[in-house]
Amino acid sequence: MKRAAFFPSTWPITLKAPLIVALFMIVTSGLISSQVLNRLISTQEKHLEELSGAYLDGLSSSIIPHVLREDVWEVFDALERTRRRYSGLTPVETIVLNAQGRVLAASDPQTYPTSSTLTTDHRASLFIAQMGKIVIAPEKARAYVLRELSYQNRVIGRIYTLLDISKLLSERRSVFLTLIWTNVLLTLLLGAGGYFAIRHIVAPVATLDHYLGRGLQGTVERIPDNLLGKSHSEFGRLFRRYNKMVAAVNERQDLASQLAREEKLAVLGRLTSGIAHEINNPLGGMLNAVDSMRRHGARADVRVTSLSLLERGLHGIRDVVRAALASYRRQDNGRHLRPSDLDDLRLLIQPTLRRKPLEIEWSNQLETNRIYGTPADRVRQIVLNLLLNACAAAASNGRVSFLANSSNSALNLVVRNDGKSLPKNYREFLETPKASLVPPNENGGLGLWMIRRLADEVGASLIVRCPDEGGTEISITIPLCQVEQRHAA
Amino acid sequence: MRNLMQFIGSDQAPSCLTRRQILFGVGSVTATAWASTPDPSQAQKETVLKFGLTPVFLSNDLDLLAALRSYLEEATGQKVQLIQRRTYQEITSLLIFGQLHAAWICGFPYIVNRQQLSLLAVPLWRGKPQYQAYLITSQSRRAKNIDDLKGDIHAFSDPDSNSGYLVTSALLAERGLKPAAFFSRTFFTYGHRNVVRAVAAGLAQSGSVDGYVWDVMRELEPALTSRTKVIRRSEWLGFPPIATSRSMANDPQVQDLGRAFLQMSGNEKGRKVLRLLRLDGFGLSPNMTYPKIARKVALVRGLE
Repeated sequence: MKRAAFFPSTWPITLKAPLIVALFMIVTSGLISSQVLNRLISTQEKHLEELSGAYLDGLSSSIIPHVLREDVWEVFDALERTRRRYSGLTPVETIVLNAQGRVLAASDPQTYPTSSTLTTDHRASLFIAQMGKIVIAPEKARAYVLRELSYQNRVIGRIYTLLDISKLLSERRSVFLTLIWTNVLLTLLLGAGGYFAIRHIVAPVATLDHYLGRGLQGTVERIPDNLLGKSHSEFGRLFRRYNKMVAAVNERQDLASQLAREEKLAVLGRLTSGIAHEINNPLGGMLNAVDSMRRHGARADVRVTSLSLLERGLHGIRDVVRAALASYRRQDNGRHLRPSDLDDLRLLIQPTLRRKPLEIEWSNQLETNRIYGTPADRVRQIVLNLLLNACAAAASNGRVSFLANSSNSALNLVVRNDGKSLPKNYREFLETPKASLVPPNENGGLGLWMIRRLADEVGASLIVRCPDEGGTEISITIPLCQVEQRHAA
Repeated sequence: MRNLMQFIGSDQAPSCLTRRQILFGVGSVTATAWASTPDPSQAQKETVLKFGLTPVFLSNDLDLLAALRSYLEEATGQKVQLIQRRTYQEITSLLIFGQLHAAWICGFPYIVNRQQLSLLAVPLWRGKPQYQAYLITSQSRRAKNIDDLKGDIHAFSDPDSNSGYLVTSALLAERGLKPAAFFSRTFFTYGHRNVVRAVAAGLAQSGSVDGYVWDVMRELEPALTSRTKVIRRSEWLGFPPIATSRSMANDPQVQDLGRAFLQMSGNEKGRKVLRLLRLDGFGLSPNMTYPKIARKVALVRGLE
């Protein structure tokens, strides 16, 4: 159960829907934030490029005359003045080189003394700059700009400028954090809102799910009127249609139950006629024997023969009556099965066997003194119906067989017949637990339907085989519960 | 405070030294030709008094300039225009050619052009019409005298400045040396405050500066001067004077201007100007001949 909880497919829709919304929000906000940041970076870099360009334009035009004259002071003074003037730019260092590549003046003369050449360390940090293009190094919070000083189409010097872009980076971080927090907040708010909205929307689904679940457990109930909602709403229409379906199902179930009762009566009728036939058969012989005794009772041989005939006939009647009484014994509030309960059924089907005629192969391997933990009446009904169906399907002069055995936990019963094979739809019907609340076929199959219903009641499973040579074999496995073993009379 | 003189156009390409020689020659010839005749310059007939200021003056202080003009206008009863130029040479030339009624120049150009110039007043600083020239270097440096400055990048203020060029050149000339050979590189900042800035920033390892300017800056801009230190103070030299063209010396307007300076300490506005300048007043003595500066000029020229 706990493992199943980790699978998203098992989560309720009230959780999945808001999570999906949140996921979409995260993806969308991530994409938008990325675009916003990229645009900000691009705008900042463009703005920086323009500002630095303006700075260098102003600086270049003011120092060119001084660079021509190698006027150290005027170049230095120009660097000082322009650095203070540009509030939108933060030049950290500006170095002016003459045509020979020597420092003429720098904003930091201590680091870049006049007349010195740039050292390897200087070059490493400065030469990252490229002509005509601002190079940004966010990891150092610096931007590098290089400008050539030209006069009459000749290069007379160079200006290197390092700009402090920490304010730009700080602005980027601020925007990034604002985007993050805004998106997190929005995602949480919308996720929570989505959860409650979806929960409200799907509440009717939960109602439907509840009543459908109860229907699967056997009790198909209509949704109460106070839960139906407005008739013009989607769920209102759905609930009303559900209630109509429930009414139709209940009606069919009632009809099926009525049919089952009628089937039982029909079976009872057939059995009764069989019993009457079995009783009637020996009565003729018995009455002949009595007549013989009356006429020739003085003769010993007539008396012996007649008495023997009478005895056999009465025994036969006794057995049939006894089997009939056992079949229609009232349910003894869950009386468990005994082996003799099954043997009685053999007697009950004798008339049916003789009618075709059919041969019966009977093998009851259950332990004689054992009580089996399953309702006796239901099992007898199942087996009786299976035997009657097998007799009906078997060919004339054919064979029907019955086998019963058991293990510690289950009772196994097999009924076979030759002749016709059970149709595929009936096979599937028998093998499917709780297959249907109503018989599979309007024109027949009531017996099979009863077998399926009774099997469901005792928790039995059925397997149907139809061999290639014809006929049908139905195996039924009935689970047993523990019972106190009393002496089985 | 900004030195406004730095912003005056300096787009003349030729070197200052060559130009100076040319101008001195032209000036001498012209002054001689015009010496015997009263100067019919426009300035004489104009109602605006034109007073020139050189970088010796703390001309980056606009309040000071406004106060000075206000006082001079009140004292002379005339409109006064303060003329500022980037170099000593320009002001001296304007003065000699009568484009200015008077100007506050340096002792060096006064000595060089004393035949064409006449003194109007001399500032009194700490009670004396004298000041010193300072050699400065970075505060963190261990240098103690000029010998420790060999190979420096050295900042001068102006090629016509006594304290900002001549004194140091003369000091080297006593050793038979010239600045170009002693220092690895020299440059002119055209402002005493700029010399302090250059040394404080490390642009120059040492500099030659007006002691009066450095001392006033120490009071007004300690953050700047604290990054420098004085390693040599010169002897006391004549303070940069207020001068006029000799041809205009008798001009009533020029005389009014001279009197205005001499009487500055007796006027409230004048005293305000003096406070801003950190001066005691202005005086004039017939003995102000700037002999020490003259000797230095001869020494330097003898080496050239």
